[in-house]
Amino acid sequence: MDLRGLFPILRHGAFYRLVRPLVCLYVRKDRNPPFRLWVDFLCRLLGRAYGKEGRTIWVNAFFPVEIVYAMGACPFIPEIHASLVAYFNLSRRPIELGGVSLSTDICSFFRCAMGLLEDGILPKPDIVLSSSHLCDGAAKFFSEIAKLVGVRHAFLGVPIVRVRGVKERFARQLRDLTFEVAESLGLTFQEKMLSAVLEKARIAWRLIREINVLRRTRPAPFPGSEGLSYVAGMNFYAMGSDEGVRFFAALREYVHKRVQRKRGYLKHERWRVLWLHHIRPYYPNPIFSFLGRHGVSVPFEEANYLYWPEPDPTSPFLSIAEKLLSNPWYSPLADRIEIVKKMAADYGVHGAIHFSHWGCRQTSSGAMLVGEALREMGIRFLVLPGDGCDPDNFSAGQTLTRLCAFVESLGAE
Amino acid sequence: MAFAGIDVGSLATKAVIFDGQRVVSYAVRRTGADSLNAAIACFKEALSLSGLDESRIERVVATGYGRLRVPFAQREVTEITCHGRGASFLFPMTRTVIDIGGQDSKIITLDGKGRVLDFVMNDKCAAGTGRFLEVMAQALELNLEEFAEQAFKARRPLPINSMCTVFAESEIISLLAEGARKEDIVWGLHLSIARRILGMARRLAIEDEITFTGGVAKNKGMIRALKAVLGRPLNVPEEPQITGALGAAILASL
Repeated sequence: MDLRGLFPILRHGAFYRLVRPLVCLYVRKDRNPPFRLWVDFLCRLLGRAYGKEGRTIWVNAFFPVEIVYAMGACPFIPEIHASLVAYFNLSRRPIELGGVSLSTDICSFFRCAMGLLEDGILPKPDIVLSSSHLCDGAAKFFSEIAKLVGVRHAFLGVPIVRVRGVKERFARQLRDLTFEVAESLGLTFQEKMLSAVLEKARIAWRLIREINVLRRTRPAPFPGSEGLSYVAGMNFYAMGSDEGVRFFAALREYVHKRVQRKRGYLKHERWRVLWLHHIRPYYPNPIFSFLGRHGVSVPFEEANYLYWPEPDPTSPFLSIAEKLLSNPWYSPLADRIEIVKKMAADYGVHGAIHFSHWGCRQTSSGAMLVGEALREMGIRFLVLPGDGCDPDNFSAGQTLTRLCAFVESLGAE
Repeated sequence: MAFAGIDVGSLATKAVIFDGQRVVSYAVRRTGADSLNAAIACFKEALSLSGLDESRIERVVATGYGRLRVPFAQREVTEITCHGRGASFLFPMTRTVIDIGGQDSKIITLDGKGRVLDFVMNDKCAAGTGRFLEVMAQALELNLEEFAEQAFKARRPLPINSMCTVFAESEIISLLAEGARKEDIVWGLHLSIARRILGMARRLAIEDEITFTGGVAKNKGMIRALKAVLGRPLNVPEEPQITGALGAAILASL
């Protein structure tokens, strides 16, 4: 299917304002309240970005969106939109198109986003901000985007070495970047605006902490497949926004009710597995339905692990610096392994699936050592190689054989 | 009472009749385009060789890529679990299984009871599989038996750099055009595959004893190459191709 016929409509902010109530009404039928809030959030965001209601800033998935909200601008995370396109099984054409201007060696999420931009589907940025964490291909992709659109690309180098004073120096770098970007876009920015945003991020953070504790319950109250899609999407997109607070409050409420009613998302939960890596295949695929059919729940996923300390509105830049520096995927592997072991113990899993998206070399390369640590705990481990965005890099037969053997080994235990 | 295991692989379908203690009979035939018919025909052939009536078969377990298309099977189990069971039955001290079949290769580690502890499989491509060897043999105008024998006549192995089936074939054609000896090419090919298997095996903690199963284990050149690369002895079943079907039959008997 080709999106081009829909282009003229998709590029109008008014379209999203009109469809938002209709879509929300539609999803009310069979989905949960947090999902509706996610759809509502996306419609508002796209309405703002296409409707040119203020500045649109393209950022990578791990860039602190709190800064963008504090400037009163609209963040736009292309990787998330690539995954949405994949969700609707429409990613083949943009990936092919993006592979012309970007090396085919670059992650399929980036190539998909590049193709969407070249096709004129994505809203144009006023500036592009990207950080060195996490994805290897991000710097190349975002600089190409900036060149293509003819806007500036500001790059945030996140220190990887944890020496004394690095947090303070990095916080100063963040402050300089924020003031300078705000000025270049003609936006007003004051530190107290960031403090206000961090206050919202703090509320969301506390809600996420509660949700994550609730998700330890047996049977698993909330599916990992959804944790890896819109929950992770809101984690990336909405920290520091009103919508983020509303979303996580609704999710907390939803999970809490299910826990109270002892309702698992599977009818019969036989085994629990942890999903490692922050993505999953987003195009239609049989992975989670297969697991569900065999009584294997995914109670939690690495993507939603709250790795950073509670946001502190009184020292906003320091607090954001700390968040970025705490990222376990941008730290020595030993840090990530400790966190994975903790998650495995907290969520009482029997096994773990490491989805090794081939484009995420920085995360996939650690899979073997993560597996060793889990095996020492008596936890079964499966590396599932694949691609999160490109359905042509997915072999259902191969994947299901691996999954099936993994489930059999859980049973043997 | 007897039990049956049917392994519907990409190239060959295997059936084993098992009485709970030993293999009563077995049959092997090409899968072809119709895996259902291959499974039925193979099962009937094994039954006929066993001299048993179908009513004597208490349970059937299917395995292999076509396992979901065996309507007379009561259960489907992956070939990974089945090869583990089969290898462990034939060589009880087996802790690592190297299985090279028609379309994939696997390394499986087992506990003392033949249960799968861990496994790795090759990626989507055919490199290092039975199909790869078939295509290479065709390129060299040899049948599979001749192909395996050539590996023992080599003077020096010629390395084949590409493991892509198509590119490796053109590499072979180029080597032949340059006057390279077939024997040296064949041995080089076997060593390349064995090194690829070793690369996979290193991702797991491989332990002795190692048992080599699957259709490719019938190739003596491959056994020699694997022993050379691993630097360890290998158990090879008398009929390695039926190990998965045997494992399925054993699971049917449990």
